[in-house]
Amino acid sequence: MFFQQFINGLTVGGVYALIALGYTMVYGILELINFAHGEIYMLGAYLGIIFLGLFTATGLTSSSLPLLLLCSILLSILVCSAYGYSIEKIAYRPLRNAPRLSPLISAIGMSIFLQNYVMLTQGATDKVFPHLFGSHGFDLLGARITYQQAFLIILSFLMMVSLQLFVMRTRMGKAMRAVAQDKVMASLLGININSVISLTFIIGSGLAAIAGIMVAMYYGLVNYSIGYIAGIKAFTAAVLGGIGSIPGAMFGGIFLGFVESMGAGYISSEYKDAYAFLVLIVVLLIKPAGIFGRSTEEKV
Amino acid sequence: MRKGFPAIVSLILLLVTVRCQKAGDAIKIGVAAQMTGAEAKMGNDFKNGVTIAVDEWNSRGGVLGKKIEIIPGDDQADPKQAVAVANKLVNEGVIGVVGHFNSSCSIPASDVYNRGTVPMITPASTNPKLTLRGYRGVFRVCGTDDQQGRVAADFVIHKLVVKRVAIIHDKTTYGQGLADLFKEHIGNDGDVVYYAGIAKGDKDFKTVLTSIKEKRPNLIFFGGIYPEMGLLVKQAREIGMQEPFLSGDGSIDPKFIEIAGVNAAEGTYLTFSPDPRRIPAAKTFIDVYEKRFGEIGPYSIYAYEAAHILLKAVKEAGTTDGNSVIQKIHSLEFSGALGRIRFDDKGDVTEAPYVVWITKDGKFTEHWRTGQ
Repeated sequence: MFFQQFINGLTVGGVYALIALGYTMVYGILELINFAHGEIYMLGAYLGIIFLGLFTATGLTSSSLPLLLLCSILLSILVCSAYGYSIEKIAYRPLRNAPRLSPLISAIGMSIFLQNYVMLTQGATDKVFPHLFGSHGFDLLGARITYQQAFLIILSFLMMVSLQLFVMRTRMGKAMRAVAQDKVMASLLGININSVISLTFIIGSGLAAIAGIMVAMYYGLVNYSIGYIAGIKAFTAAVLGGIGSIPGAMFGGIFLGFVESMGAGYISSEYKDAYAFLVLIVVLLIKPAGIFGRSTEEKV
Repeated sequence: MRKGFPAIVSLILLLVTVRCQKAGDAIKIGVAAQMTGAEAKMGNDFKNGVTIAVDEWNSRGGVLGKKIEIIPGDDQADPKQAVAVANKLVNEGVIGVVGHFNSSCSIPASDVYNRGTVPMITPASTNPKLTLRGYRGVFRVCGTDDQQGRVAADFVIHKLVVKRVAIIHDKTTYGQGLADLFKEHIGNDGDVVYYAGIAKGDKDFKTVLTSIKEKRPNLIFFGGIYPEMGLLVKQAREIGMQEPFLSGDGSIDPKFIEIAGVNAAEGTYLTFSPDPRRIPAAKTFIDVYEKRFGEIGPYSIYAYEAAHILLKAVKEAGTTDGNSVIQKIHSLEFSGALGRIRFDDKGDVTEAPYVVWITKDGKFTEHWRTGQ
């Protein structure tokens, strides 16, 4: 049973980690909590269903399902990244020099707008993701793991590793780290701030889209409000790991997934949501900057 | 600003009074349930059923010489929202309300309706507490969870003859109420090896199901509604649990099978009222509904009947006065698509048998009655 709960925790944790990365990257660069990020995740889930529906409607299903799936995923990532870019351009860039509270409120407004937009255009009832994979799986160490679950866990890790490599080993990644460290200085050194910020949003939205589609496939059920609770948990994960730190978000997400799983499995499932927030409180009391966070000093 | 102020105030007052005078010459009937969100299908099933009833009456000239209008209210399955909707409907001057769906909404809303002397007939709220509060104007055309829990326990003990039962609920008035009543009626005849709640709206139940799997039950009972039921059954099969599930009237919707998948949902037991398709009077309604709105929901016909009862009572009372209409609902006997209906003093129907259904080949069929 322990290993099964472990796998359950890893699956859920992977999803939280992917969404948390978006929160942490944006905070690192703009010191803004992008409340609308949860809705990007929700949009990813919906777009996955929509594109898959479109493809099956035009009768291409029989030819090659994995290929269709891949196309749906890629298109969904594309559209979500476009959403992320647009949201930054419309709701946050004009407020770049405004007091910290203004973009925050703008983000909340964007979140509400997106939720209602999806509710009005896609309908208020739950949408079911077509059952493409059966519950086939394999047994490992006494736990039953479905292929979908394994795919989800592997993909999450792949994405996280890719992001870490991108940020640490490429020139663009270096630019992102520079902008996060000191925006003004980075611009003086010739880095195009706006491009870097837009790229951050695009990458964050892409990751959230992947999380959304995987969740849609895995649970089979989406509705316009899934962004809200996922967003809150992912944000908690990001803060727990140290907001602004990419390894922190990854760790925070997985850790949160475990805490939920173990708490619900061994203590009581009634308080499943509470465990995550309880851990957050404890961690912040001990280490206010989060586990991997650096406490920022103000130079006077 | 000071000079213009009285003018603005009088303008506003004028507009307000003009709006009030527009109290139309239509008879309004309220429909309250969840219209947006996870169980929006139920609210829309209600609305559709009531629409057919109202159209039937309007084609015969309405009631008391006036046309009938439907005022929908979306309570989003949230008790606070339900009270807001109830207040809105009472202020609009509805002659009665068909609603709500969730017991957790019907109970607080009934306070408002009672204060406004507006009769409320719920097609689907089954928690016994609703009719035990002493309100004359609260009725239901479905059964109660006490009856449901009893039939479910009976089935488990005498027909399935299982010993170990796991019970989950969704922490709502209905879900937990039903689970508790089932547990009570099982009593000492079975072993309840697991009892816990899950959060409504949650999608991942593998953790809970893994804990249940450890306890090796023979049957899993779920008190709750179809979105969670569908996911529970689907995920149980995914972690290798093949034991059957048993649930109540909240889960007997085709969407449950859609969410869980036909294979996973096969062999699930559900308690519900007997198949209305067996009643000839219901056949016409079902045909009309399916032609107009598509697949019929489990409670469409109950909402339809509730609307008919309200309108018939208004017609017989000769007035829309709340107390007279409530009086008439108590005293009359109604004969319609659900067969014969009479209400007892509390507002419950006098005969409400529950039977056990089973999912077979992606459809629900009646499976077992008490005494078989």
